Parts: sequence; C-alpha cells; structure tokens
Amino acid sequence: MAQNNTDLQMLIARTLRFGVAAAAIIAAIGGIIYLWQHGSEPMPDYSQFNYTDATYHPADYTTLEGIIAGILDMNSRSWVQLGVLVLILTPIIRVVLSLADFLRERDWLYSIITAIVLAVIISNSIGGF
Amino acid sequence: MDILTFTLIMLLAAYGAGLLGSLTGLGGGVVVIPVLTLCFGVDFHYAVGAALVASIATSSGSGSAYVKEGITNIRLGMFLEIATTLGAVAGAFIAVWLNNNVIAVIYGLVLILTGTMQFVKKQDHTGIRGSEAARRLKLFGTWPQKDGSLKAYELRNVGRGFSVMGIAGMLSGILGIGSGVLKVIAMDNMMKVPFKVSTTTSNFMMGVTACASAVVYVQRGNIVPGIACPVLIGVLLGALTGARMLKRLDVRVLRKVFAIAVFMVAANMIYMGVTGKF
Repeated sequence: MAQNNTDLQMLIARTLRFGVAAAAIIAAIGGIIYLWQHGSEPMPDYSQFNYTDATYHPADYTTLEGIIAGILDMNSRSWVQLGVLVLILTPIIRVVLSLADFLRERDWLYSIITAIVLAVIISNSIGGF
Repeated sequence: MDILTFTLIMLLAAYGAGLLGSLTGLGGGVVVIPVLTLCFGVDFHYAVGAALVASIATSSGSGSAYVKEGITNIRLGMFLEIATTLGAVAGAFIAVWLNNNVIAVIYGLVLILTGTMQFVKKQDHTGIRGSEAARRLKLFGTWPQKDGSLKAYELRNVGRGFSVMGIAGMLSGILGIGSGVLKVIAMDNMMKVPFKVSTTTSNFMMGVTACASAVVYVQRGNIVPGIACPVLIGVLLGALTGARMLKRLDVRVLRKVFAIAVFMVAANMIYMGVTGKF
C-alpha cells in the first residue's frame, strides 16, 4: 500500500524539504534585493485591489514570461514570485510522485483519481485569467 | 511606515502565524488575514493571496515532519482532493465578485465555527465498521501505535464526507485558509477517521487544495511579492519550529487560549463587515 511504502515516503519527505528550502532561499534573495533597493521608501498602498485595472497585475510577477524576464534583470519582485511558484510546485510534485507510485502498483482506480486531481490543478493554472 | 519596517513586522507576525498554525492544526492563514486587514488595512483580495501562501507553507513545512511517521492516508487524501480542488477552483472564481465586507463576514463565521470546534471533545473511534463504498475505494488503513504495532481502522459516510470537503475547498478558494474546521466535521465526525490520521491527511490535502486556487491568484496579481516574501519565509520557519515542538508539547491549553482569541477576531471581523467598515 502507498502509505506503507517507505522508499516513497522518504522521497516525498525529501521533496517537501528540498522544495520549501528552495522556495525560502529564492524568496529571501528577492527580499534582500527588494529591501536594498526600496527598503526606505514608504509602504505601497495595499488598501485597494482592482481586478479590471491592469496596473494591479503587472507582468513581472503575474506571468511566467514576465517572471523569467525579471529574474534575468535581477528584478526583486520576480525573484520573490519565483520563490512563490516553487512553493506552489512542491505539493503538486508530491501529487505527481503519488501518481507514479499508484501506476507502479497497478492501482488503476487511484491512478485515475490522482490524474483527475492533477488535471484540475493544471487546467486551472492554464485557464486562470 | 517604510517598506523595511513593514517587512520586518510581517516577518515576525508570519513566524507566529506559522508556529500557531502548525501547533493548532489550523494553518498559518488564520493569523495572517487579520494581521494584514485589521492592523495594516490591506485589501482582503491581497490578504487572501497571502493566506494561500501561508497555507501551502504550513502544509509543506510541517508535512516534511509528519510524512515519515506513515500515518497519512494518501488514498483518502487523494480521493477527497477531487472534491477540495474542484471546490477551490469554484471558490477562486466566486471571490472576484465578493467585496471586502462580504469576505470579512464569511471569514468571521468560519472563525466562530473553528473556535467552537476547538472545545468539542475529540473521541477516538474504535471498532468502527466501514461502509461498502469505503471498502471499494480502498480507504481503510493502518496507523502506528506507541508500541510500534499497526492498528487497522475502517471508515464510512464517504459521500457525505466528500460533499463537505467540496465546501471546505470552496472556502479555501475564497478565504485562502485551510478550513480545518470542516475537515474535522467531515473526516472525524462523519467518516470516523482516527484523529491522528485525519490531522496529517488533512495537512497533506491543505497544501494541494491551496495550490489549486493559488495558480489563479498569482495570475490575477492577488499574490503580491512585497507581502508574499515575509509571509512565505516567516510562516515556513514558524511551521518548522511548531512541528518540532508538537512532538513534546501538550497543546490542549494553547488550543483553548487560541480559540478565545479566534472568537475575538471573529466578532471584530463580522462587526466591521456588517457595518461596511472595510
């Protein structure tokens, strides 16, 4: 059974630990650049959010292309957001590992169930606006 | 206030949020939302994005400590995640149409339910006869006892539990918090999952569910780096500390104290929401 498989458990534990460590380090790099460049500036106005106004979702932290371009530019916001993306990916990789394990066990029912969960998340990340 | 001060205060608050979130099993988002909205006047649509980051960080941070113990029922978690992720997707889309005051009231109501459930006595189910549906879905499992032996358990009410987890997912998509309270109702009270198994399994599910809506929140700009950075780092460190402390700490008193604080925040949120102060 999946929950008694110690190899997989070790792999999952290692993935989680590696994922959160990587996310924290990347976000910290972004945070240090951010504070270095803007630390003494007044706090941005977070008191309002608008879904239709494009200034509330700048590309450098809301699109994959924008984040990658920002990373190369040493844009602090893009670095932080890459850390967030790595954090989001960590549980998703955990689901992928479980899928691989169910397939290996030829547990077709749970292979399908896990694939549905993955499909929901992936279609949402592509379809999200 | 300058950015440096805000970041340092948030880092500290997030550390506390991660610590309390992992000790009480409620996740880091429960503390992050009131700190951002009540103390800093941040819009709920940003605060919910930060709470999602906090939920994933708590889940993965404390999950790395739990998973070795082998008590997470991955099949049960995966099956219920169909409900929670679909709910989360729906919640993320509904959230666009809700203004701050409505979100504040929903959040307050969930908090009241959460606080109340902290006082309900947990019964450890023994000798539960599982249902046919649960047997077909291979949801029965075993969990290690203190003496190292494995104890088998069965469970029931799969359909009802599945529906309640769908609502839990929807609330997670709207509020960003793990809605652990509905997990207690669905998994502990309805499905009769042993408490330790349901706690770790729900912790596993919380991260995946939050991811399903987080991928939308990032693209909408609700997860803003200036807030996400201290929240991510602070909550992670707090959750790691909490998971370590949990092994040798009796958290019953802490849970009760936390529940009272939760009631006070809930009352504040509902009052401000109803009177349109946000």
